[in-house]
Amino acid sequence: MDTAIDVVLKLVAITVAFVVVLLVVAYTVLAERRILGFIQGRLGPNRVGYGGMLQPFADLLKFILKEDIVPDKSTRFIYFLAPVIATMAALMTMIVYPFGPRTGIPFTSITIPLVIAHFDVGLLYVLGITSVGVYGIALAGWSSNNKYSLMGGLRSSAQMISYELALGLSLIGVIMLAGTLDLAQIVELQSNWRGFHWFIFLQPLGFLIYLIAAIAETNRVPFDLPEAETELVAGFHTEYSAMKFALFFLAEYINMFTVSMLATTLFLGGWNVPFAESIFGRGTFLFGLVSAIGFLLKVIFFLFIYIWLRGTLPRFRFDQLMSFGWKFLLPLALLNIFITATLVYFSYNF
Amino acid sequence: MLALLFILFAGLAIGCALAVVAQRNPLYSAISLIGVFISLACLYIMLAAPFIAAVQVIVYAGAIMVLVVFVIMLLNVEQQERGRTRLKFLVPTAVVLAAVLIAEVAFILVTVQEFRVNPTASPSDIGITNSIGSGLFTRYLLPFEITSILLLMAIVGAMTLARRGGLLSPDARLIPGAQTLPLHLVDPSAAPDDLRPVEMESSEEAARLLGVDPRLTRKE
Repeated sequence: MDTAIDVVLKLVAITVAFVVVLLVVAYTVLAERRILGFIQGRLGPNRVGYGGMLQPFADLLKFILKEDIVPDKSTRFIYFLAPVIATMAALMTMIVYPFGPRTGIPFTSITIPLVIAHFDVGLLYVLGITSVGVYGIALAGWSSNNKYSLMGGLRSSAQMISYELALGLSLIGVIMLAGTLDLAQIVELQSNWRGFHWFIFLQPLGFLIYLIAAIAETNRVPFDLPEAETELVAGFHTEYSAMKFALFFLAEYINMFTVSMLATTLFLGGWNVPFAESIFGRGTFLFGLVSAIGFLLKVIFFLFIYIWLRGTLPRFRFDQLMSFGWKFLLPLALLNIFITATLVYFSYNF
Repeated sequence: MLALLFILFAGLAIGCALAVVAQRNPLYSAISLIGVFISLACLYIMLAAPFIAAVQVIVYAGAIMVLVVFVIMLLNVEQQERGRTRLKFLVPTAVVLAAVLIAEVAFILVTVQEFRVNPTASPSDIGITNSIGSGLFTRYLLPFEITSILLLMAIVGAMTLARRGGLLSPDARLIPGAQTLPLHLVDPSAAPDDLRPVEMESSEEAARLLGVDPRLTRKE
């Protein structure tokens, strides 16, 4: 009986999380177009629905109705597989993020943790799945049998391998402070100081490195060399059209969403909203609701930074990108580990 | 339920492993190998060793195989002739090695029966991150450090191989747009002991420096 309730609750949680993610992704695209319009002194899409609110659905309809073109000399199977891998890898990381505390459901005695799957090594799981996501882009570039696509795919693989190192190393500071790889515990540890014990105050350097590496990892401006339209047409997805293109598009925005969620979880206190616990009390439904909304708002803040950067920064040159990653970001991350390790050692021993 | 999952992932691993060998296209082989690694990771999770599973995916599927795929894409092996190269000693060696492997598996199945533990029944802390970490840095410190020295050797070796026979001297700089040529590339007999790149703004300048008639460099 208990397992049945458990399964049902998990299914509900998965459905809710999936719908929320897709909605946020859809409206991130709209927000990006509107904010870019504002930055560039124009209006952006504002005709479909009130202020353009229905634009994402119009776009989706268009993607579905467009003709799906498969290049004649492409490697068929891999050409179909690539967008699937990209989207799957992007969606699979969703399940480990705790988006709220243990919450009681009103009018029942059931309490549930607001997380889909609880892992002992949640952080490593996220890093593992993200590293598999490279294949989607690399294989898409290779299988299209197009030189622009191949260049885009190669650039992207090189870039993602290089920045994954800095990304992983920037997280080690947080892991050392928390002493665990369990995301739920990491968030719990940040609930001191009335919900203000965020690791960003203890790890400012690690946070900066993570932010930069995460932008490079998701192939966004100013690191969007894989799809630099002035040199590569559209990079790895040049030959993709209709729904397959939409899948790549979706994967990119879901990836933005997940790295924002990881940044929130590790550095901005996860679902901890300052003073919420003393007002509502632990375990109540309102506390869960406020925490989940706080989590979402923090994630949206990161998404806004992404869009803001896209509107204001020019693109790197590829050799600059590589030397920045290997010669600046990586040593800086190592330095951060060294400093944190020293401080942790002294705070434990003296 | 657990047995069903085991059969699923083990079958997947074996199928992918067979595909690695059977495929003619090297990229398909590489993708099958990724499949093997991911199925192995799932088996590790079922054995209550999530840390090993995550590391398996990160290191093998996420890093090493990306490099393999990268190399296959760069070399574009598919366009080359993939004729069958038959080495005479290959088949006997394979047979002998396979026999040894099967004997090993049989030996383990026969002798080590009593060590079977049910991972779900007794939550042992063998696969937990904490115990792996403390094990690596206390009991197995020496093997751990020796392995890291082995890896360091591989890195240094790769660096040496990559840098050997470099044409440019350490203080040479490549400037985009400028024409930079080491002198000995053009005239091997002129290679001095201290190689130095020469920077020139135009082909005419280069020709003058090399003692060639500058008019030859002009496009008519």
